[in-house]
Amino acid sequence: MSKPGYYDIDDILAVQERVPCVLQVDLDGLGSAGGGGGTSKVYRNSRWTLPFWMADRLNEEDYVDMEVSPIFSKRANRMYAASPESVQLRSISQHYYQFGLQMGDLVPEIPHVLRNMYMQRIQKIARIAQQDHNIEAFDFVQSLDRTEARLLKLCQQAQGAIPEWQQNKAYTLTKTSAIP
Amino acid sequence: MAITTRQQEGFTMPELEYMAQCEDITIVPLHRMERLELMRALMLKRSNRCRIVAPEWLSYEHLHNLCKREDQPDSMFTKLPFHYLEIAQILLTNAEDDLIDSQGVRRLIQDLREVRQSKTREGLRMLNPLQLQMDNLSIAEINEIRPLFAHSFDMLRRLDELAGSSDVSRQQSQNMFADQSYSEFDDTFSSSYLNPE
Repeated sequence: MSKPGYYDIDDILAVQERVPCVLQVDLDGLGSAGGGGGTSKVYRNSRWTLPFWMADRLNEEDYVDMEVSPIFSKRANRMYAASPESVQLRSISQHYYQFGLQMGDLVPEIPHVLRNMYMQRIQKIARIAQQDHNIEAFDFVQSLDRTEARLLKLCQQAQGAIPEWQQNKAYTLTKTSAIP
Repeated sequence: MAITTRQQEGFTMPELEYMAQCEDITIVPLHRMERLELMRALMLKRSNRCRIVAPEWLSYEHLHNLCKREDQPDSMFTKLPFHYLEIAQILLTNAEDDLIDSQGVRRLIQDLREVRQSKTREGLRMLNPLQLQMDNLSIAEINEIRPLFAHSFDMLRRLDELAGSSDVSRQQSQNMFADQSYSEFDDTFSSSYLNPE
């Protein structure tokens, strides 16, 4: 089970992702939530898009029926599987993997989808981290989600450490850019 | 710092003791110093008291052979000291005159590093959450790829756990809805797939 980590900021941000839900009960006076007037009634079977943390809880208590987020729909999964490297993950979701880990309990195929995606993409990330200033990679770097972007940054730092040390830059103090 | 009257008037005894240590004296060495820590050797080297004998692996010929072996397809990592990159760097900067063909050695070390780097990249293809085996990798090289492997291992492990737990929860929910067949349960999922909005 992958429950949201209480102190993990990525988990907290990831559960803000919205998921489509179908209301299972009539609600009095919550019209503002459904888009109607403040005091009107919201009826059963109306569709809501709620943040995952709220939807998950309401789903457990049978107030709403949570559906699979469109970013993990079967069609989307098939589309991504065709060429994982060219998927614009960042525009799909900033927290694609973290959110996927949260949703994984509900949709059994998510772990496999994420795994394929991750395996393909980290190889490219590793390649990029080993070369510096690759212009062709720019588009790919733009498409990384948070998890991947952070990994790339860590890798680049680790890769840069050896050349930096070889050129004796590692422990040289330099003037900060704040000072003109 | 306050200066005492005694210090103004002359030296203190500890100061004199310190100064006396600069006098020469005859000794009988109890060790023949042939092997000692690199750090000490460097101190002696800097004050021109010794010559550093380059390690066997840090010769043009040896490195040339290693390079050739390393370059062969599907070969393992060749055996090098755990700190080879650091030692080579230290000796090339501080004791260049003690190495034979230091320029060649420098070049070969760089070549070796590049070949090995591309090999570790190949190793990523075999990544799985259970184990990763790359023998003879040096500490600097391990350090270089540590974040990549640590994070990807973590992610793969979490995904595998998730895959395992969702299999279990599927079975449980199957038992819970004993009257509802498996395929019906699948239908509920797939219907929501078809109408994501």
